[in-house]
Amino acid sequence: MANKNIEIVVNPPAPHFVGDGFRVHNFIPSAYYLDMQRMSPFIMLDYNSKFHFPPSKEPKGVGVHPHRGFETVTIAYKGKVAHHDSTGNSGIIGEGDVQWMTAASGILHKEYHEEEFSRTGGEFQMVQLWVNLPAKDKMSPPKYQGITNDQIQKFTLPDNAGEIEVIAGEYNGLKGSASTFTPVNLMNAKLKKDGVASFSFPAHFNTAILIIEGSIEVNGKEKVGTDKFALFETEGETFDIKASEDAVVLILSGEPINEPIASHGPFVMNTKAELMEAFNDFNVGKFGYLED
Amino acid sequence: MLTNFKTYLSEKSELDETSIDEILNDVRVESLQKGDFLLKAGDVCKHAFFTEKGLLRAFTIEESGKEHIIQFAPETWLISDRSSIYFNEPSALFIEAIENSTVLFISAEFMGMIAERSPKFQKANDRALQSHIRQLQQRINQLLGASAEERYSTFIQKYPDLLLRVPLWMIASYLGITPESLSRVRKDLAKKNFKS
Repeated sequence: MANKNIEIVVNPPAPHFVGDGFRVHNFIPSAYYLDMQRMSPFIMLDYNSKFHFPPSKEPKGVGVHPHRGFETVTIAYKGKVAHHDSTGNSGIIGEGDVQWMTAASGILHKEYHEEEFSRTGGEFQMVQLWVNLPAKDKMSPPKYQGITNDQIQKFTLPDNAGEIEVIAGEYNGLKGSASTFTPVNLMNAKLKKDGVASFSFPAHFNTAILIIEGSIEVNGKEKVGTDKFALFETEGETFDIKASEDAVVLILSGEPINEPIASHGPFVMNTKAELMEAFNDFNVGKFGYLED
Repeated sequence: MLTNFKTYLSEKSELDETSIDEILNDVRVESLQKGDFLLKAGDVCKHAFFTEKGLLRAFTIEESGKEHIIQFAPETWLISDRSSIYFNEPSALFIEAIENSTVLFISAEFMGMIAERSPKFQKANDRALQSHIRQLQQRINQLLGASAEERYSTFIQKYPDLLLRVPLWMIASYLGITPESLSRVRKDLAKKNFKS
């Protein structure tokens, strides 16, 4: 099998606030080269790099907003988020947990720093990813997978190199905890200094890594530092990562959904008419109601 | 650049792309930050403002400090105080950017210059004035007599994406209802239309 090499390394773009609780670098789709089609099925990636929030009486966050046509995946590395949605689900996403929400036909939700975390303040670090749905599943019913860290499948690497948390997809025969609509691999490689992990994905899958902690070397030649995003070529299958120091790396690889994309704000559909319908359905309450 | 304004001109006139590009050399374009003002009450309005990108609002402030929103202007909308321009008198309106915006400053001379080149534009402009008056009449009528639900329903047809872009208190202010009534209307609609 041929090696899969890095095509481009992207530095974190200037951060902006989403609501008042998430200070994020947007890699997908606004960074050069990382548009929705190139990165499909990953159509949005906001990265809240490690940031210290001071104590706050009022929890910071994002108020009620809708989504339709895709899934939102929140991966918490530091800090805690409380969420509520219009289907009646609510919960807390703590350190190491993953929330996989299928918005599909439509959902309203809000996300705030969890109360205790808000009161004490502290380090906050998260990834929010949007995974597109194929046309046939865009209007399926919303659902929710709250995956706590102890439910995440973990593959122990040989030679005390560390472990791979398989959130979705498969690593060396170990299947991930989340169910997906199209083939998606999403995993955290937690590597000790000098630890090595090898990965293999089909050549045509869109594949990338985000360095959450530490720094690494890919295929023995390219160094990638903290908070950087590396996009791989769509040829070759295998690559390996060696930790130059203790490192956490988010690995994304998914089969592209080769369909037209019409998107505006929180709606990602296939046609402009479907987008207009999404706005109208939201305006007339078809997504339900959620108190702010 | 200025794609929205180019489309606006090409739909409303028979000017070709070259003439439009020529005209656009003379137009004043400004980038505004959220919170910047284009007009303040007491000043004479000199321009109409075309929203190329972003969102503007026109509003008045009562002596007590309460705001009343007269109009929103998202992309491709024009907003101004026509009577202040025409009668050269101080305006009662504030016009403010409520998102970071790109705005074209359209003077009466600029409009006249295009109309001279394009009879179709002259007609379109007359029609725009008539339709503005029609809108105002409908709005007066609704503010005097329509239920909160009817007002909301007209609003979402006129501005399909604004519910996602402006805080609810601004929408309530535009509709002339309290934020609580707006919440009730939206809750009732969700009860009727949400199938879980």
